[in-house]
Order: sequence, then structure tokens, then C-alpha cells
Amino acid sequence: MPSEVTPERVATIAASARVSLNATAAECVASAVNPTVARFAAEKINLPIEIEPSTFTVVARGEIRR
Amino acid sequence: VTDPATLTLVEVASAIRDRQLSSVEVTGALLKRIALWQPVLNAFVRVDGEEALVAAAEADAAILAGSGRLPLQGVPLAHKDMFYLTGKLAECGSKIRKGWVAPTTSTAIARLQSAGAIRLGALHMAEFAYGPTGHNQHLGPARNPWDPHRITGGSSSGSGAAVAARLAYAALGSDTGGSIRLPAHFCGVTGFKPTYGRVSRANAMPLSFSLDTVGVLALSAEDCALIGAIITGADPLDPTTDGAPAWNMTATRYPPNEITVGVPRAFYVNDLEPDVAKVLDEALVTLRKLGTHVVEVDLPDQTAVSAAALIVLAVEATSQHSAWLRERPTDYGDQVRARLHNGLAYSAVEYLEALRWRGPALAAHLAASSNVDIILAPVSRTAAPTIKETDIGGGPSAEVAIQGITRFMRPINYLGLPVLALPAGESRSGMPIGLQLIGRPFGDERVIALGRAFQSATDYHRRMPKLSDAHS
Repeated sequence: MPSEVTPERVATIAASARVSLNATAAECVASAVNPTVARFAAEKINLPIEIEPSTFTVVARGEIRR
Repeated sequence: VTDPATLTLVEVASAIRDRQLSSVEVTGALLKRIALWQPVLNAFVRVDGEEALVAAAEADAAILAGSGRLPLQGVPLAHKDMFYLTGKLAECGSKIRKGWVAPTTSTAIARLQSAGAIRLGALHMAEFAYGPTGHNQHLGPARNPWDPHRITGGSSSGSGAAVAARLAYAALGSDTGGSIRLPAHFCGVTGFKPTYGRVSRANAMPLSFSLDTVGVLALSAEDCALIGAIITGADPLDPTTDGAPAWNMTATRYPPNEITVGVPRAFYVNDLEPDVAKVLDEALVTLRKLGTHVVEVDLPDQTAVSAAALIVLAVEATSQHSAWLRERPTDYGDQVRARLHNGLAYSAVEYLEALRWRGPALAAHLAASSNVDIILAPVSRTAAPTIKETDIGGGPSAEVAIQGITRFMRPINYLGLPVLALPAGESRSGMPIGLQLIGRPFGDERVIALGRAFQSATDYHRRMPKLSDAHS
């Protein structure tokens, strides 16, 4: 997974979402989100394929009995 | 009883039920206060005074007839302008929803109405609840009752200001990235963000469906317990509440000497302004006096959790707003539009990986804090900054500034934990400073219990701003 967001990548995703975004805005977005993307990528998360979003609910509900 | 404004929610509800005060007297007193404070605070977006007085008269009649013993019988409340009520405007702090009339009623509002509450009107909020300061390009900023040159915090800006100025006994808010806790901290009131899935979000405006939590701002932990008992519980309209435990009021009186509090060794204690660090230290002294066990705790790296929260929030908010972002982009304020654009930067794989990691991240958090019931942390590095210095618009520095304000907020939403944010001291300039009592999932009653104990030993939650201060 790339850990750097480029204005080109932002423009591509915006186009696929059919949202109009000029070059200046794409550059601004890339600059704003880069630290977040880099920090998340640095965590090098390798999740087992069995993990899905609702795993969160299972873990949280496990505390009800505590 | 002399001045109804000095009473808490629990006290006024009892006074009305026991006919020491009438609902009409109480509602009228608050409407007078609203007329005086509103020009200073900009806390309300609409006041429905006549309707409130009619409802108050009906409540009094029911009490006289012996049929009105509901928990909130005749108690006037007001709510963030994003909780739908059939036939009423719900403009969500926006231009896009200007004039929008809700076709249905949110579950939280319906439950409060069933408990006898009266509605005074609708409260200021950040545009679409997507802002942490209380600024709003369309409405102007909400102002802090302790110093109107300073921010209220957001996005439940009007809720924080109105409760602090005693214009409503409690106010619903929502918390996706700190939107209840920040106004509680900056305005000096008590904010309760329940466990994700404990309170129905049905027919409240969504921002990020994985993180949104409906909660309340009030004067005390005891007040939050009363509202919690009414609004929590399963709701077929919100599947995330399925199987959630019923509210246990007895557990909100759990003894503090049987509670272990963990103080993080890192992240939440880094780079605090001296005033906030001092309040944290003093709170630990108070908790130890109450018999609470205090230990240090090493939490997993919160910066990674925070990054995951930002990704989930950004993508879900942009997804919710995608149609308007295509069709009406110029109708958003600059900062909200810029933040919605940020959600376009993430790939689907990044978003889903952030969402899939939530369970393992929560498991790691619970394992690291297995020996504690509650984690004590600041809400923010500072007391309320000025409106001027936080008027950052949508420029390139906005995201950095926003992330600074919400730094101690985001991990909690990502992990879905219950929190009570309560006033615990004040800055050298007299602004309130709050702290977070962060519980384990579904440990909502336990955080309320510790908050009650803390507030039995302190009086910060009883302090009341004066209109003369606001005019100075």
C-alpha cells in the first residue's frame, strides 16, 4: 500500500466518485491527509482474513459480562 | 426554592413533581434567561417559547390531576439542531438543509418526550456536526458563557453554551470525534458519551455511522445518569443497539473505593499546558481521597488508533455527503467542504483495513488496561482558546489545527468507549477545564459512578457564569 498520497491519486478518486475537484484542491487534500496515511501505513497492520468490521462488536460485547 | 436556574436536572425534576415549582414557572424563568443570554451566546437557532409554555401548562395540569409522575415531567430541555422531530425544522447548522422539515422523530427525542420532557427549541451546532470549535460560517460562532470571546467547542456548541448558562437543564448532543466532550470541557459542564451501540442514533443526522454516538450535556453526572436511563436501550430502528444491556441505575452508585483508575504514561499526558496538567494532578489527589485505586497504565500507541479513526471518519462523512458534494458544493462552508474533500483521498482498501482493525485494536486496548476500570485523561491540551485564533477557515492549515484540538478525542470514538467529561478545575484566566473518565465497553454506569463520587467532593460542576462577566 503506498504511504504517500499524491494530488494525482486524489484527483483520480474524486473523478471516480464524480466529485469535481480542481488541481489546487487536490494538492491541498494530499497535503492534509498525508500524515494520517503515513502513520496508518507505518503500523504495518497484517490482519487475518477472518477479521471483519463486525469483529469490533464481538470484542465490545465481550465486556458486557465483566 | 428561589431561582430555578440554580437547580440541576434531577433537582428541578423532583421540584416540579413535588409541586414545589410549577413547570410553567420553571419554563418561564428559562425563557427569560434565554432572552437575556441569546444575544451574547448565539446558543439557540430557534426558540419555541409559546409551545413550551403550553406544554408546561399541560404538564402542571397532569401533576395536579395526579397523572403526571414521569421522570422528566414538565422539565424544559433543548437539543442540538440535528435530532429530528416530526414537523419541525432540523437544519443541522447548514445552508443545504435550511428550511428542511423532519418527516419523523428521532428515537432519543421520542424517549425524552415519553418521559415528560418539554422542548424549548433547537441549539446551535457546527455545520453537519463536522467541526470541533463552535465556528459556523452560516450561523456565526456560538460563544462561551464564561468569556464570549472564546469558543464553546463543537460540534455540540449550542448544547454546551446553553447548559453552562443555565438556559436548559440538559441538551442532547452527538459525539463522533469529541463533539460532546469538547463543549463540556470548554464550557464547564458534564458531558456523557455512551458506549457505541448503547443509545439509538435513529433519525439523528448521521456523520460517520461507525463512530456516531448520541449522548447528553448536563450539569452533573447524576443528571447524565437520569438521561442515560431514558435514552439507552435497544431500538429496532438502530441495529447497533441490538442486545445492548438495559440501564442499571444501581450501578451508577458503585463505590469509588472499589474502582481502579489508570493514568496513561504517554500520549494523554504529553504537551499539556500547565493549567491542564495541574488540574489532572489535583483530580488524582481527589480520587485518592475518595479511596479510588490509582495506577499507571501503558496503552497501545494512540497515534495509530487516531489515524485509523481519521480515515474512518473522513471516508464515511464524504460518503454520506457525496450527493450534495456533487450537486451543491458551494453551499458548504469552506472548512466543511475542505474536510469532505479530504475523504476523497483514501482508497477503499485503506478504509476497510481501518475498519477491520477496530476489533483487534479494541482487544489490544482492553488487554493493556485489563487491571483498570476507568482511564483518566484530559479532554484537551488547553482551556478554551479565543474565537479569533481558531477562525481557521478551510485553508491548508485547517486540518492540522483541527487534529490538534481533537487529539485526545478520536481514539475513544474509534474504540467505541463510554466517557464522562466533567469539570475538574479552571485555568488562571478562569476558564473551565474538564477531564475524561474513559470506561470499558458497556461500563457506562461505572464512569457515571466515579463522576458522581468526584462531584460529591468538588464543586466545579456547580459554578455558574454571570451575564455581567459575559458583557465585560
